[in-house]
Amino acid sequence: MLGILLKKQFTELFRNFFYDSRKNKMRSKVQIAAWFVFYFVIMVVFLGGMFAVLSFSICEPLLQADMGWLYFLFMGMTAILLGTFGSVFSTYAELYLSRDNDLLLSLPIPVKTIITARLMNVYLMGVMYSGIVILPAIIVYWIVAGITVSRVICGILLFLIVTVFVLFLSCLLGWVVAKISVRLKNKSYITVMLSLLFIGGYYYFYARVNGLIQILILNAVMYGEKIKGAAYGLYLFGRIGEGDWTAAIIFTVTSVILFAVILRILIHSFLSIAAFGGYTEKVRYVEKQVRVKSPFRALLFKELARFTSSANYMLNCGLGVVFITVCGIMLLIRGHEFIDLFGQVFSLTQDALAVILCMLICMLTSMSDTAVPSVSLEGKSIWIPQSLPVEPKTVLRAKMTLQLIMTAVPIVFASVCAAMIVDVSVVLKLMIIVFSLVFTVFSAVCGIVLGIRMPSMNWTNEIAVIKRGAAMPIIIFGTWLLVAVLAAGYLLLGYTIGAAGYLLFCSVLFAGCSAALLRWLDTRGSQIFAGL
Amino acid sequence: MLKIEHLTKTYGEKKAVDDLSLHIHPGEIFGFIGHNGAGKSTTLKSVAGILQFDAGTITICGKDIVKEPVACKKELAYIPDNPDLYEFMSGIKYLNFVADIFGIPAGERQEKIRLYADRLELTDDLAQPISAYSHGMKQKLAVISAWIHSPKLIVMDEPFVGLDPKASYMLKEMMREHCEQGGAIFFSTHVLEVAEKLCDKVAIIKQGKLVKAGTMEEVKGDESLEEVFLELEAE
Repeated sequence: MLGILLKKQFTELFRNFFYDSRKNKMRSKVQIAAWFVFYFVIMVVFLGGMFAVLSFSICEPLLQADMGWLYFLFMGMTAILLGTFGSVFSTYAELYLSRDNDLLLSLPIPVKTIITARLMNVYLMGVMYSGIVILPAIIVYWIVAGITVSRVICGILLFLIVTVFVLFLSCLLGWVVAKISVRLKNKSYITVMLSLLFIGGYYYFYARVNGLIQILILNAVMYGEKIKGAAYGLYLFGRIGEGDWTAAIIFTVTSVILFAVILRILIHSFLSIAAFGGYTEKVRYVEKQVRVKSPFRALLFKELARFTSSANYMLNCGLGVVFITVCGIMLLIRGHEFIDLFGQVFSLTQDALAVILCMLICMLTSMSDTAVPSVSLEGKSIWIPQSLPVEPKTVLRAKMTLQLIMTAVPIVFASVCAAMIVDVSVVLKLMIIVFSLVFTVFSAVCGIVLGIRMPSMNWTNEIAVIKRGAAMPIIIFGTWLLVAVLAAGYLLLGYTIGAAGYLLFCSVLFAGCSAALLRWLDTRGSQIFAGL
Repeated sequence: MLKIEHLTKTYGEKKAVDDLSLHIHPGEIFGFIGHNGAGKSTTLKSVAGILQFDAGTITICGKDIVKEPVACKKELAYIPDNPDLYEFMSGIKYLNFVADIFGIPAGERQEKIRLYADRLELTDDLAQPISAYSHGMKQKLAVISAWIHSPKLIVMDEPFVGLDPKASYMLKEMMREHCEQGGAIFFSTHVLEVAEKLCDKVAIIKQGKLVKAGTMEEVKGDESLEEVFLELEAE
């Protein structure tokens, strides 16, 4: 039974890898292999490489101070934090909000089997996020300290223990969210607010991580002794990676107990949470004066209503609005320090710094992607826009416009802040703002083009298209790569026409590309949408 | 009002609709019956402009659905077999959304919402989110949204499924009134007694092909519609 449910889940999870829903046929072997290579490159080379560099920087000095356990404690905690951070927002939806709840519960399937199958999705998500930290950390340790049988086995155990801890924390928080949600009105807003607080704390920690690492390395022995004395459990946790069998056995048993506890809690509460439709206070309809909207405005407001109705959608696709604004404020407060430091380290001119700052702002547009899943989110309601008397291009433009409006305002703010802190000509300051805006338009157009090129209309949980859709990593990492290429392009060649000239050239180029993509959207893209 | 000429739609190798032709005139309630998978929904979706077909033409009030889809859709309303509506909206917001798309003035839309919601006994629940609606309530909302812009042609796929007896009776009344006012209705149903009592004309489709069509008297003769349908299915 569990196997059947897992097969169904994995089919949905990896559907985009194997199946081209636009062409309604299986992908070729080459395409499937390309997808897996793409994921491998992103997860292992790009993100894993980043944490491998971090691991190398702290492993050696801590080993020299005979504090290998502190290294594993630090990396293990980072992995647990990132793993929990990455999956906690989707755990509630993953466990309780699937559309096939009624169907599965009506079938002779034990609740514990349904929960176990769903836990596997949450576990895999946790493995993905925590694995990119803890696996490089373990491998780096083996390289630096040398490989022994006990280190290899305990290293593998440490990886499993970390992932089970992540699962435990994600489920516990997901369960708390679920218990709160059934009692709350406006739950999506409250979830977003709580999540933003969590994210704020995370980034506060992240912003100080370099300083913390330096302090940790310099005072490793002192802090090590303090932790060992005050929290012996943490010391034991770190010892697992070094090949301490006693520590490994204690934590393996603890993990199994924690897993059993959370499984029991979830099984016990699943029916009451999943079968409960949510708290909806009966509101009696009272006729009010209505404001008539144009079809385009009606579609735009419909997109906004869809966006604000889902905490997952807001958190995964709209975080950029907050982040870009905060970045603008941070630039005003600490921007000069950043510019001075960056300029000194890389020996860059003010013009080059202005271009790089502009590219960094453009990179942030990748955190605002409402357009990408918006087509797939139509799901089974796609018949509504298809049967109403509106052009498909109007529907698509409304989806794109929502992202544009949400991103353009903070982008203008952040780029004005950037222009204020760099010591360059007025023309270049103006070009920073102009290019940031053009790039924002380009990003929104690309988002809706990807959404229409890679639709997934048959989902049982919106998380499948909001978070796990193949289009999302493409737009995020694609934007990063593009921005890196543009920055490198200036440093290698673009400087010959001047920073303002380079940004003007890029603006014209991206405006042209946006126009071409819009043209495609109005013609072929509209045809695809009409045929979905 | 509606002319379907040589409509053909294939899914891979399978012909879902095969050279189907039908004419529906103003004032007619036209029933469309057939077994599961016979091609009814495919035909109705093609008429509504949701499905792209391979061959044939569909004209609504003289306009081609392929060449002038928006103009055609202004003249029609479509209700699918499963009312998957925007669950993130309340009932009233959904109705206002549809009314905005059709450009219905505020006063007129309020009057119609009041009229139809009262008749289908949904008025009190209009402020509720659609996600809290039962299947029948969603169906009622879909019916109101179809009637709100006074379409000439209403296309419905199994419209009585999920409706309580009172709402079902009211829908039949509304269908009759719509046709008395010069409109036309094209709907599919498996409830042959309803089709027999309600429809002016009926068409039977089998494996994508039209096997019989005409006025109710022409199709059933002295037999019941159920007997005719079962005989045709057995052939």
